Amino acid sequence: MESESNLSIDQNPNPNSLEVSEEDHLKFLTINAKEEEVVVNSEKRSEEFLNGSMNSNCDQRVPTSENEEEQLHLENEEQIEVVIGSVNSVDNEEELIVEKELQRDSTLGSVGTDVFEEVGESFSPSEFANGCSSGDYSQIEEPNIEEETSMSEVVRESISSDVVRRENSEIEFDAQSNPSSSGYVGERGSNSSSASTVSDEIEEVEEDGSFDRGVVTQQNDNSSNGVYDSASWVPGKRHDEEDDASISWRKRKKHFFVLSHSGKPIYSRYGDEHKLAGFSATLQAIISFVENGDDRVKFVRAGKHQVVFLVKGPIYLVCISCTEEPHEALTGQLELLYGQLLLILTKSVNRCFEKNSKFDMTPLLGGTDVVFSSLIHSFSWNPAAFLHAYTCLPLAYPTRQAAGAILQDVADSGVLFAILMCKHKVVSLVGAQKASLHPDDMLLLANFVLSSESFRTSESFSPICLPRYNPMAFLYAYIHYLDVDTYLILLTTSSDAFFHLKDCRLRIEMVLLKSNVLSEVQKSILEGGLHVEDLPIDPSPRTGYLAPHLGHDRSRTESPSRSGEVNPGIGGPAGLWHFIYRSINLDQYVSSEFSSPINSSRQQKRLYRAYQKLYASMHDRGIGPNKTQFRRDEDYVLLCWITQDFELYAAFDPLADKALAIKTCNRVCQWVRDVENEIFLLGASPFSW
Amino acid sequence: MGLSSTTTSSNESTQLCVFDLKRGQHEGQELDKILFFYPADCPFSTQLSVIGLSEGLITFTRIFSPEDACEVIEAEKHSHVFYQAEPDIWMVMIIEKNKETEAIWRIDALKKVLMEVHSLFVMFHGSVRMLLDKDPGGGLVRIHLYSFIMDYLTDFFVGKKLQFPSFRDSLKERGTIQMLTVGREAAIGVQSLVRVVESSCAGNAQCNSLVLFQDLLVSTTLPPDDTVNLFTYAVLRLTPRALSSATSTWSYLRRGTTASQVATDSIFENAGSAIHASRDTSPSRQGQRHHVPRPLRPEKWSKGKDGFLSTDIWGTQVDNLGSVTPTVWLQETKERVYVCVYQQKHLTIILLVPVNSIVSSEQGISIVKQQFLEHASLKILKVEEKLTRGWGGENAYHVAGYRYLLFDSDRNISRASPPGKVTTLTKDSLLALNKLREEVELEKSRAKHDDLRCEKDLEVCIRARNNAWVIARVTRGKELYMVLEKGDETLLYASDAVEKFSNRYCDGAFSLD
Repeated sequence: MESESNLSIDQNPNPNSLEVSEEDHLKFLTINAKEEEVVVNSEKRSEEFLNGSMNSNCDQRVPTSENEEEQLHLENEEQIEVVIGSVNSVDNEEELIVEKELQRDSTLGSVGTDVFEEVGESFSPSEFANGCSSGDYSQIEEPNIEEETSMSEVVRESISSDVVRRENSEIEFDAQSNPSSSGYVGERGSNSSSASTVSDEIEEVEEDGSFDRGVVTQQNDNSSNGVYDSASWVPGKRHDEEDDASISWRKRKKHFFVLSHSGKPIYSRYGDEHKLAGFSATLQAIISFVENGDDRVKFVRAGKHQVVFLVKGPIYLVCISCTEEPHEALTGQLELLYGQLLLILTKSVNRCFEKNSKFDMTPLLGGTDVVFSSLIHSFSWNPAAFLHAYTCLPLAYPTRQAAGAILQDVADSGVLFAILMCKHKVVSLVGAQKASLHPDDMLLLANFVLSSESFRTSESFSPICLPRYNPMAFLYAYIHYLDVDTYLILLTTSSDAFFHLKDCRLRIEMVLLKSNVLSEVQKSILEGGLHVEDLPIDPSPRTGYLAPHLGHDRSRTESPSRSGEVNPGIGGPAGLWHFIYRSINLDQYVSSEFSSPINSSRQQKRLYRAYQKLYASMHDRGIGPNKTQFRRDEDYVLLCWITQDFELYAAFDPLADKALAIKTCNRVCQWVRDVENEIFLLGASPFSW
Repeated sequence: MGLSSTTTSSNESTQLCVFDLKRGQHEGQELDKILFFYPADCPFSTQLSVIGLSEGLITFTRIFSPEDACEVIEAEKHSHVFYQAEPDIWMVMIIEKNKETEAIWRIDALKKVLMEVHSLFVMFHGSVRMLLDKDPGGGLVRIHLYSFIMDYLTDFFVGKKLQFPSFRDSLKERGTIQMLTVGREAAIGVQSLVRVVESSCAGNAQCNSLVLFQDLLVSTTLPPDDTVNLFTYAVLRLTPRALSSATSTWSYLRRGTTASQVATDSIFENAGSAIHASRDTSPSRQGQRHHVPRPLRPEKWSKGKDGFLSTDIWGTQVDNLGSVTPTVWLQETKERVYVCVYQQKHLTIILLVPVNSIVSSEQGISIVKQQFLEHASLKILKVEEKLTRGWGGENAYHVAGYRYLLFDSDRNISRASPPGKVTTLTKDSLLALNKLREEVELEKSRAKHDDLRCEKDLEVCIRARNNAWVIARVTRGKELYMVLEKGDETLLYASDAVEKFSNRYCDGAFSLD
């Protein structure tokens, strides 16, 4: 199954070409001159766009069947399986979604959209063969031309670098186009100033949550659609102008750094990596100093600050934080950050360091800032980041079954994993026999897809690595948005499965439309999941019980119990505020919707951190998981209960009565069991066996 | 030197150093920073690298946290515990983690060791900075630190290995006083005794006193910090238990064995001259010039015929008539006082007489002692008898079913289950408690940093994997830690147990209503 992918790993990367590519990247990061450079092109285009020239965009969106044919032709001829996401400006997004079917295929070949043609060309194997350096971005798995390398492999090599370049080009464009309207700002390179001013004020809240500014509150009116709504968060690098000499930089609450073992900066959450070279070298010095003493530094504490280190071969990851998160949690976040890096590059990037210890990795990750910053953002709202479990969108059992059935159908035809997701929640998920998907991989994959604007606008085929599945090899992900929030990911080991997957997708899409799954999904988003106000006072026997708003009767738009009766003991000054229930066997969790008084993003973040702390306290490595914990402080009463089957984390009013709180927890567990058919994905997934 | 190297090589797992960041600023002079290093025979390169890393991290962490620089480095195999004892004077302890030898601890407990040795040092010798000012070459402070810390460490030797407080000591709090609970009548007796004792001082001088029964404090007229220091010293070296050569394990502060004391003594004799030999300034010569008293040197105190304890630690009088009366610095009043210790069976009375109130030192002191005996002897006998009658023995503060530590941070007082009872707890329970205490300490230190928040109020009940309840309560400067091993499984059982304990033994401090 992985043999093919592994082949590419066995190849030795060509150091010479690495050098070349480094230069290349430098070139396109700094000089906007070369016409043939994709990114340069996109930059140029974005300049045009800023100047008011909308032509290229409009052109690009024009769906023509001609384009589609042209594209197919191109792909067949040159064995390109990659369809690069388009760089549409976001104001047109709605329109685009309506036309997605057509637009998706129209990304190549139209007037003024040379970008995509050139992307295609630059990936052409002939360029590799000719040793043309200009379009060569394949730093990761550079094929050795002397070796017997099949075309498909060469292409795969080029695909592997595609991620890098694609990201780069589009992000440049997004940043230029209209950050405020898109809500997505990826800023990098020379032209970040305009975007950073926009995101500046938002940043403050994002990072310390110490204010409740209306502009930024993450209360989408539609607060039901996500546990922690991240809708108004703006991804991408900010404060690029800062460096370690800036006071503002030093005062940031949570820094993340990735650097190489030679001390070269690879990623920094704040500030320009290049300006942080000195700082990076300091971090490297600390790590290697301790290593020289035959030891390994894990963390350093100084007042409210913690410096947490994680060494992964030639890659060092460091977090500097004063967020009061337990160091275990921060280490876990660094692990995920590393996982995200692997998802983009695979572990074979280590080879580059073996060849050249001073290897500069930044170009390889060019433009992926958004992916990392969005992951880091998720560390303050997504419970999956510390629970190591995923969550499902609540759906009527038959609806999820219907979705599962068609995914299963596809999985049987050689797809490794078929995943239907809605934002960060799983609608359904099917894996080929014996293949199991780790919840962390799902988190990273979903983050990768959701943070890259390009996937929203066209179908894509992208090499990705699932670090928990196989850190050494690429899989190939066919990604397609079925509507604004819902997307399908089909994973395969075969690099030339694009057309097959495209067919699969068409089939899936048809079935989903016919069986109304997509509309049910939209409905579920509106209705939200479990609301603590709806906790049944006296749960009825398991069979036949339906939660007030989670029943099959999905025609209701409003749950009467939520608006009407108020459940005594639930909510209010002495009651349950929120809970998270994690099913151990299913690797899934369900989190209740936020309700009063956990309204503001700041309060949500604080609760998130409290849960995180509780989790760390319950799961100490040395003494193993505790069974129960009751914790009362100024902010909450927290109760945690761990059994063989589940973990329950519940937050109450700080004045809550202990006996009542325990009773409520029992009721929550009963409630969750009663509606487990709807809130969890049951049975269908082999990974839970 | 040979002796010292063989002794210390088995202790390579532990390093302890004191350094001054103000010194040795120029390249090549880095050694000048080092004021103390254990083990002393550690190569200079290693010493420099330890101090280099420490200094590096202090500087580094100040980028982000200028107020509170590095407190701890946790590495896979070692913990580095930092304590800034005085401005720019740092103490760093590096200890090796080892699950098999139960080398699992709380950072805070280790830091308290550093704090303790430093505050005792200051009590006897004055601050490190002051000694440095007196002798900028550093020889004076080095010889003082060396003898003092080495003597202090003898108490931590188990066999040839240094053993610092581990998770097994989770129900103890270093740097606190343990008090004797006395009845009303006895309390009045003690009060009048104190009045008499303190009146022994000649003239108008303000004397202070501490009264101990066994290893427990009965009365003090000193401010809290000075009380803690003198109490600690008394328990280490002065109480009847400390005097008796048969070392009891009863008091946790005493751990030393005679063997190790001999060993460190010989290290000192050898290394005292050797370690500094290669340095520019030769403190060994200075060491000969200055007499360096070693107040923590074990078994140097003995009870005289008059009931007063005496020692030749501070040297003998010129005319060889007796030993020099020891003096200490009081933190609060910043004055130097003579220490007179009187012992009657289990009762130890420490009388502190200001140095400047006595004109001709030893003569004046003997007058004070004389007056003391004249006025107080009878009262002392009575009080001792009364206290002995009321004394419940080593397990006096045992509460059946509970293993606890009660700690009042405002008054630096703690009370705990007797060590003998704590040893009945399983390792798992103690580990869980150790971890919980660590969490609470972090919360506390954060609350301290966060001046917006008022004092920490926290309640945590954990049912550990082994079904023991591990409980922490923090409220209004009081802390209660508890392990209930044979408890019911419900949370309500656990909180009831706390409630009962609180009402009965803590004046309801931890009760919810």
